[in-house]
Amino acid sequence: MNNKFGRLAKPYIIWLYIFAVAPAIVMSFLIFTDMEGLDLANLKMTLDNFSQLGEKSTLIAFKNSFLLSVITTAISIVLGYLVAYKLFRSNFKNKFLILVILILPMWSNILLRTEALANIMESNNIVTTFLNKIFNSNITFPQLRGTYFSVVFGLVVTYVPFMIMPIYNSLEKIDRSVEEAALDLGLTEMQKFWKVILPMSSKGIITGSIMVFLPSLSGFAIPKILGSGNIVMIGNVIEELFNNMNYNIGSLLAMIILVVILFSITIVNKVDKEGEMLL
Amino acid sequence: MKKVIIELKNVSLSYDDEPDVPIVDNISLQIYENEFITLLGPSGCGKTTTLRIIAGFQKPTQGQVIIDGKIFNDIPPYARPINTVFQRYALFPHLNVLGNVKIGLKNRPTSYLIDFFGGRDKIEELIKQDKINKGVAEDKIKKASYFEINKKVNQLIDEAAYNALKLVKLDGFENRKIEQMSGGQQQRVAIARAIINRPKILLLDEPLAALDLKLRQNMQYELKEMQRALGITFIFVTHDQEEAMTMSDRIVVMNNGIIQQLGTPEDIYNEPVNGFVANFIGETNIMRGKYLYENHISFLGAEFDCLGYKFEDGEDVDVVIRPEDWDVVPLENAKLIGEVTSCIFKGVHYEICAMFGEQEIMIHAYETPKVGDKIGLKVDPYEIHLMKVAREEPVSDQEGQDNLE
Repeated sequence: MNNKFGRLAKPYIIWLYIFAVAPAIVMSFLIFTDMEGLDLANLKMTLDNFSQLGEKSTLIAFKNSFLLSVITTAISIVLGYLVAYKLFRSNFKNKFLILVILILPMWSNILLRTEALANIMESNNIVTTFLNKIFNSNITFPQLRGTYFSVVFGLVVTYVPFMIMPIYNSLEKIDRSVEEAALDLGLTEMQKFWKVILPMSSKGIITGSIMVFLPSLSGFAIPKILGSGNIVMIGNVIEELFNNMNYNIGSLLAMIILVVILFSITIVNKVDKEGEMLL
Repeated sequence: MKKVIIELKNVSLSYDDEPDVPIVDNISLQIYENEFITLLGPSGCGKTTTLRIIAGFQKPTQGQVIIDGKIFNDIPPYARPINTVFQRYALFPHLNVLGNVKIGLKNRPTSYLIDFFGGRDKIEELIKQDKINKGVAEDKIKKASYFEINKKVNQLIDEAAYNALKLVKLDGFENRKIEQMSGGQQQRVAIARAIINRPKILLLDEPLAALDLKLRQNMQYELKEMQRALGITFIFVTHDQEEAMTMSDRIVVMNNGIIQQLGTPEDIYNEPVNGFVANFIGETNIMRGKYLYENHISFLGAEFDCLGYKFEDGEDVDVVIRPEDWDVVPLENAKLIGEVTSCIFKGVHYEICAMFGEQEIMIHAYETPKVGDKIGLKVDPYEIHLMKVAREEPVSDQEGQDNLE
């Protein structure tokens, strides 16, 4: 039985080995070499690449990445929890429909969405153009594009659905009678939330946090468009390095991110053994 | 005269979307102090809803819930002197056993807890005693600080939790996780968690339904013992008539949101007021008969003596005879003779079904007649119970779909 189905998974496993595991191995090798492009003839073994980690630009990129991802995650927890909790509490019959509507933006192209957002964050954007045309005035918006705010805003807007889903799932799993038991035992509504509901939905919060934190940390499109060069995250540095055929240092930074990701996933595995929170 | 602790006065409840279909229909009920009372009925009869109204999870659309002489309709669950043991226990999975038991007291305000543990003076006295035990000279002891009182209260909560766990025979399990406990153990945690708050009334919503037979029987005795030891009122909900019989001081039989009968287990078993109760409480035979004149009744074409019922001469009545009340006798002594249609071994006795003309009668006996044999029956006058004929047809199955107002 198991064997037969195991064979069905073979094509994907092969795919995974060729396009994920093998490149990772190659990249781990590239970390310790120095060459121009992929010129294997002039390959030199070296540890010089690690000195790049001490460069100011890299450090700033790392700092930006971690700081902005943490802020994004924190804001997403608050917003996501509020939405999930409201939905959980509502008597609306078709809650699944609401969830679909919340996820709907995720199905449109992320670059398009981010570009649109970037436009709104310019001082002269589509809205001001429109207004100025009508009223013949000279209204401008504050220039937000290129600030930390714009990047965090873009990250939150993009990734908050990943927070809502696991939190909502964990809330739905709470038995109605457990809440009644809390009230019955003398807890007020407020105590019930802090002492029972919140701890019981912590699985969802942790899973959601990782789901938001990881793409925020490693992504490059959103900081590139909304940061417009002012704010550089680690994803942008890697992209730049690979574009300039500097594969060695690019590999090093990419591998560091990969280690962070793997570490996070082990946390999720520990917390959520059955993998029940991810839809 | 026993003291009434809780009273339901004309309580009704219906849901907004179906205002004409009452879940609980004009129930009035007085429950005494230290009583073990059981709400018994088939599923959907309104017994759990009644319990939820008492607990405060649902507001009655009409009527009053009176506890200790005060109307409690609008008082939230946490302010009622009531605790509940839920059907599926509803334990908190993120806390261990001790955490579950303590949660009720731990989240109360300190002023409440000081009163709960006997007042400020008593707690100060305890603190003083502790200090003396530690060897502090008595004249050097200062007045207990706020911090010390808090510490003492927490210590008392711990003690109370250990005592509650001891009472349900779970000492030693304090640090277990809930998921590591068996169904029966979780049940005990749920009980400990409720009784630590010293409620005046403990509500139990089918707490034994998920346990296996042997464990259930043990728990029945233990619960009864616990109720005696604690001296609090237990309101127990079940659909299992045997369970109700074993444990209760009084039983409330409910159907369709209406109280059908209220009485001691003996009363309800021996003197059911209508066909529903007769059928629901154990197996029974209900036959149409005629009240001839005082203490004389005829049914199935024979005449019998009966005792203690007063009807009009010649009135139609329903005759109730429990299967175990028939006497199987040799044919020549029999008042009724029928033909056996089935005979099933039930352990202690045989369950015999026999046709007497058009009427099928169930008999519990030790004899083993063969199918097709003739069987002779007699019945003692005091085993014959009479009921007024129900306006509608009596219910024949245990689910009881028909109305029997």
